[in-house]
Formats: sequence, C-alpha cells, structure tokens
Amino acid sequence: MNLREYLIRRLLLIIPTFLGITLITFLVIQLAPGDPAAMKLRMGDQGMMGDEVTLQIVEQTKKLYGLDKPIWTRYGIWIKRIVTLDFGTSYKDHRPVFDKIAERLPVTVELNLISIFLVYLIAIPIGVFSAVKQGTMGDRMSTIALFILYSLPNFWVAALLIMFLGGGDFLDWFPVYGITSTGMESQPFLARLFDHFWHLVLPVFCLTYGGFAALSRYQRASMLEVIRQDYIRTARAKGLPEKLVIFKHAMRNSLIPIITLMGYLLPAMFGGSVIIESIFSIPGMGQLGFEAVLSRDYPVVLAIATISAFLTLFGILVSDLLYVWVDPRISYES
Amino acid sequence: MSRTHRLSSPKGSLLAGLLLALFLAIPTGAWAAGDAAAPETGDWLIRHLSAEPATLNPVTATDVYEGSVNGYIYESLLERDNRTLDLVPLLAETFEISPDRLSYLFTLRDGVTWQNGQPLTSGDVTYTFDRIVDPGVDSPHLKSYFKDLVKVEALDGRTVRFTFSKPYFKSLEMIGGQSIIPKHLFSKGDFNTHPTGRAPLGTGPYRFVKWDTGKEIVLEKNDAYWGEKPNLGRIVFKIITDDNAALNVLKSGEMDLMALNPIQWVRQTETRKFKRMFDKHKYYLPGYRYIGWNSRRPFFEDRMVRRALTMLVDREAILENLLFGFGNIVTGSFFYEGPDYDKAIEPWPYDPKAAAALLDEAGWVDTDDDGVRDKDGVPFRFEFSIVSGVQFHEQLSTVLKEEFSKVGIEMTIRPLEWALFTQVLDDRTYDAVTLGWSLPVEADPYQVWHSSQVESGSNHVGFSNREADRIIEEARVTFDKEARVKLYRRFHRILHEEQPYTFLFVGESLVAIDRRFENVNIYPLGIDTTEWWVPARNQRFK
Repeated sequence: MNLREYLIRRLLLIIPTFLGITLITFLVIQLAPGDPAAMKLRMGDQGMMGDEVTLQIVEQTKKLYGLDKPIWTRYGIWIKRIVTLDFGTSYKDHRPVFDKIAERLPVTVELNLISIFLVYLIAIPIGVFSAVKQGTMGDRMSTIALFILYSLPNFWVAALLIMFLGGGDFLDWFPVYGITSTGMESQPFLARLFDHFWHLVLPVFCLTYGGFAALSRYQRASMLEVIRQDYIRTARAKGLPEKLVIFKHAMRNSLIPIITLMGYLLPAMFGGSVIIESIFSIPGMGQLGFEAVLSRDYPVVLAIATISAFLTLFGILVSDLLYVWVDPRISYES
Repeated sequence: MSRTHRLSSPKGSLLAGLLLALFLAIPTGAWAAGDAAAPETGDWLIRHLSAEPATLNPVTATDVYEGSVNGYIYESLLERDNRTLDLVPLLAETFEISPDRLSYLFTLRDGVTWQNGQPLTSGDVTYTFDRIVDPGVDSPHLKSYFKDLVKVEALDGRTVRFTFSKPYFKSLEMIGGQSIIPKHLFSKGDFNTHPTGRAPLGTGPYRFVKWDTGKEIVLEKNDAYWGEKPNLGRIVFKIITDDNAALNVLKSGEMDLMALNPIQWVRQTETRKFKRMFDKHKYYLPGYRYIGWNSRRPFFEDRMVRRALTMLVDREAILENLLFGFGNIVTGSFFYEGPDYDKAIEPWPYDPKAAAALLDEAGWVDTDDDGVRDKDGVPFRFEFSIVSGVQFHEQLSTVLKEEFSKVGIEMTIRPLEWALFTQVLDDRTYDAVTLGWSLPVEADPYQVWHSSQVESGSNHVGFSNREADRIIEEARVTFDKEARVKLYRRFHRILHEEQPYTFLFVGESLVAIDRRFENVNIYPLGIDTTEWWVPARNQRFK
C-alpha cells in the first residue's frame, strides 16, 4: 500500500469514528442535568418558576433555542449544520459560535505553540542527556529538579508570580492580565510586539515548567531503550564518534513515543488552559469552554467538543504518518 | 439636582448569594458632600470588572456585569433616591397611579435625546416593554415580572399608559426600573443578535466608546446629556478575572475602584502604602445567606428540630472566622437596613445543650446506641448540598458536620455544580442546602415564602403557614408603606419562630477607591460615581 491509499483509507475511517464521537458528545451534553431555558429565567427570579405563565415562558424560550424538538431531530439538524461548518449561535449572547471561537482561538494557539515549543526544546535535550549520562550526579540532579517543578501546582505558582513580579507590594516587572497594554494601539509595531510578548512571559512560564518532567522522562526512557540495541553497539564498535551515534542513530528512533504525544497536542491546543487563562485574564478557548459548560450553552460546548474530536483524529493520523518517517521498520501495510 | 441612585432593574432579586459581592458594580448613590470646593471636570475613573458581560443589550442580558456598564448608558423611567431610597422621576417627568392600582400613567421629560441626537419618545417606552414580552425575544428572566401586564400604550408622543390585570405594590418599581432602549435602532434587524447589543446607545450621562473583548470597555462623558453632566471624562472598565491579579493592578495604580473580599481587606490592603493611595469603604447591600431545611424530610418537619439545628450553628464564630466579621447575623428575610426588618428580634443563641434538649423533647433520641439519634426507626442522617467551589460553603459545611456529630446527628457533604444544584432545588431532592438571596430594596416575600410556591416555586423548603400566607397576600395589595411594614414585621416574627431557614448573615460589601476622587459618598446602596470629581492638580488622564 502506498501513502495515498493509506491516507484515503484512514480518512474514510475518520468519518464513522467522528460520527460516533459526536453522537456520544451530543447525548452527554443534552442529557446532563440543567436546562438552559430554565437557567436563564432563573437569572431574573426563580420565584415564579412553576406557575403556568412561567412554564409557558420556559417553553417559549426552549422553542427559541430549538430545544422543543425531540432529541433525535435535534441531533439530525445539528449534524446537518456542522457539515457546512455552521455551529449556530450561542444561547448566551446570540453571536455566531464560529465568531466566538475565531475571536479566542489565536491567543490560545499562540500560547500553546510557544509553550509546547519551549517544552520540547528544553525537555528533549535534558532527556537525552540523562539517558546518556545515566546514573551520574547530573542525571539525578536534573531528575530531582524536574520533579520538584512538576509537583508545583501551576495556579499556585501563577499566584506567587503575580504577587511578587506583577506590581503590588513587590517587584513591578511583568503585566499580570490580558495580552496587551492599554493605549498600545497608537504605538509603533515593534513596541506593540514587545508589549505583547512581555504579557505572555508569566502565562507561558506557568504552562511550560510542569511539562519538562514528563516529556524528558519519556525521552530518557526511550533513549535508554534505544542505546541498548544491537545496532547502536555495532555503530560504536565500528568506531563511529559518540556524538554521531547518539544524535544520528539513536535519537531518531527514540523520538517515537514523543511523536505519539504530539498527536494529542492539537486538541489540547484548541482546548486551551482553563486555569492559566482565567488567572491571567486571557480571553482564550479555555475560558470560553468552561463558561459554556457552566451555563449550559449547548451550541458552544458542542462546537468545541466537535472540533476537538476532529483535531484528535487528525492528530493521531499525523503522528502515524510521522512514525513511518522516523522509523523505516514501520510501514503502511500493518 | 443631585444624581440619585439608579434603580436596580428587577434582575436585582436574582438568586444566589454568590453574586452578592458583585452588586456594587451598579453605579449608585450620593450623600450631600461636606466639601465646599467647586467640582472640576476631567480625569478618568478606571474600575474593575471581574468578568465580561455576555451582551450589553439590557433586555436580553442576564448578568450583573451588564448592569454595571449599562447603568451609565441607559436610563429608566424612575430611579431610587440615593438617600431616601424613594422612587423619583428620571426619564419620566411625572407619573400617576389609578386608584384601583391597575393603571400607571407616565409623562416623559421633554427634551431628552438619545446619544445620536434622536428624541426620546413614548414609542421607545412601548417598544421596550413590547420586546420584553415578545416570545421571540430571549428575555425569560424579565418576562416573568411582566406577566400581569395587559398592555402598554403610547397616548401621545410623551405619555405612556401601563395596564395590569392585578394590583401589586411592586408594579411601579418594575416598570420604573427597566432600562428604556431606542426603538429606531433596535427595530431594524433581529432583536436578539442586534449589533446595538455590543455597542449600546442610551440617554444616559456616558456614551459607549469601545469594547475590546476580554480587555476593557470604555465609556466617555455624554456632552449632550439632558441632565446634570458628570465631571469625570471617561469610565474605563478593566476586565480582570482573577481577584489577586486585579488587586495587584489596583496596587500598582492602574485601577481606581475595586471590590475587595474580606481576606484582601484584612490581610492584603493594610499597608501604609495602600492606605496612602486608597480609601476603603463598606456598606450593606440587600440580601442574606441561609441554610434551608427541606421540611418534607422527617428530620426537618418539626419546627423544634429546626430551631435546635439553628442553635447548633455558632453564627458569631462563623461570621468572625470565615467572613472576618464583615457582616451581621440576621433573623429574617428582609433587608437588614430596610424598614421591614424588625431589629427587636434576637437571633436564637448558640447553645448545643439546649439544642440537644430540644431534640430529645422532639423524640429524636439514640434508641439503638449506634451514636446517631433516631425516631420511628429513621436515623438522623442527612445530606448537606452545597455549590461546589464556593469556599464559604465548603468551610461552613465542614464546621456544621463537626458540630452536628457532637449531638448525634450525622451529616454528609454533597458538593454540586451550579446547574445541578439549582435542579436539585427545583426537584426538591435535597435534605438541606446553603445559599443566599439578594433582594430588591422592597422585597415581596411571596416568591420565597407563600405556600403556593411550595410545589414548584422558590419556596423550595416547603414552608407553609396559614397566617404567613394571609399576611403576604394582604401586603401585596397594601399600598400604604407603614401598614405594610407592620404586616411584614409580624411575618418576620413568624419566620423566626418557625425557622424554615437558619438565617445566617447579611455580608458587607467592601470597596477600595483611589484617594484622588472628591465627593465620594457612601449611601445605603453604595457609591455613586457620577457625582465624583478630581481636582485639576491631581488629575491623571487627559
């Protein structure tokens, strides 16, 4: 089987999987307790809940939201709509869900891309280093340091950073909310860019440090496995320089588990980080999804779940393709 | 005319003590300034908004954040006087109420214009109320208030008549408190998604400038305002969702006004530097926290048991330890500072011994020696439902669990997410809960305490008392304030005897305000930023 056939087969397989996922998501969300129409009415006054006029108001509102139809009809309508990428309008502010996502996605993607890049940039060399120098003082120190970082909850670190570095009673080094300063619109481009990245320093740090431990351990383990293999011993026996053995022969193969992880990065990026985004008041996807679930804003929840499901499937496909690239022993046949 | 407190919209009575602290966001009132200096114009006020409003369409919006922004932009027919809390004309020049209390006639003030220069007409008023009751408009939270409204007619360009099917003492407040929206803008296009919902335009002292999603909302002074013009040139709302981050921004001088929580007040703002920059103020807003006992459960059907439970709650210690003493113990459901509340009623004391004796008397004794009281084979074991993630609820429930276990009552804590929590209230499938109500200035106990609301209304604890019902019904059609106060004080006494709730506290609202502002007054309902000004030498923004 060549790449094209493989791709087509995989893409076709995505369709039923995707439908299955959406069906389950749809049912779970719609069957979760909490009725959006009643919740909205209650925002004014739950008092008159129950009497006839109020029940009528709830019914009116359900009709307005399209919730008066049976659940299967609603699922059908919804599937029909998402095929055309129409995610409907939010119950909360009646804006198109697509616009709401489009507005919040860039900052979330940016935050995650930067932090993922940093995590990989720092964790992989550390992992390789600890594997090659297994058991040495350096290996142990870095392991301990990384696990200490890993065990610090990021909301706590974020709070400390805000308190000590964000003005207030101590140092005033970093802005602690949002992604741009007030009045920046009139500044030159470079100043705006700098201001923007200055805002990202603390949130990116909080998103990043915990990731070092896990990823470098993965890298270390898989590297250790690879350097015990015969072909590495052969390479060494042939008198190849150590650098070449490690970086050319061993490293490429040790990347497989890391690539598996990458498959899940796409949906994670889309989902955003609820905690960090709300602590630093960054209007991103994490905040949007969290609020939508709490207020039973079905269209928004469903749209996010659907896109995440799609990205997960797509990410898995990409990582499968990458396997073949890094390891010639894996082929499309299996 | 001194600016007076803008009447809070009917939304003010929404459920949930969680939201109490947010109420100061509504721009409010003014006591006569002792300051004789003439006000100077200019400078900005930068205030905190702890979340973004969903929309700034005052008919479809349901959150308090909308109110804090739109309070500057939109106006209603009447407003509450800052000091007396009486309803006084705003957009209306005069109003008349028919003797049968079914019809309300408003004459609009002459010369009021929308911020785009169009005149305000009676058509705008009828349009506003027509939209609220329109089935195609997403306003269920307001619709329920106007269900007895039969019609709204514009008699001519300046007069509007409202007709109701039943007399009700709160009708005037409900009509008078509703923000009036411009017909000429909203009538074109779909109401729910109308762009004016993101770029509001009203008749008020400030006009909308911009809304940077997730960042800030900016308003500027409306130079063509019909009334007394405010002094501050701009109002900027900074949207900062995290309390600690917001406090840091405040401390670094980038914000002028913010609500504090008790721990911030006590621990984080007591430095000399902070006091040099900011003044701290506190005031009560109508509302209270409570523990509700579901009287359908065998343990809570007897009022002596409920009273015993109240006597096991050490309210003074809880107030001191959990809320840092910011608040007052309450004994009933009316606004602590309002006339309906009878301060002569003493709270039941904390007295575990007397409580145990009351439980024995009521027949709840440990007959099988398993350490848990029982009666007719039912052990005194119940679940206490709380809203998950609310610190006060978590702390309170832990304290209660301990306290109850000492007298042989076994309580388990059941944290529920808000949507689920409200459903459990509606379905009456809980044993006991803790929550809060926020109130309008004049509360009508009908919604929470009348026996008609037991099955599916807000009377979720199932309180039913014939005398209370009679008082509530009579008060609804009693238009003489004093007579109503008398009725309500009797009702307050009944609640105290019956203990359907263990009434906890009215919390204090705490705020920090930059010291450069002059004429900052604290009224019964809080602050009124529209009367503030900054001497030219201290002005920070141009």
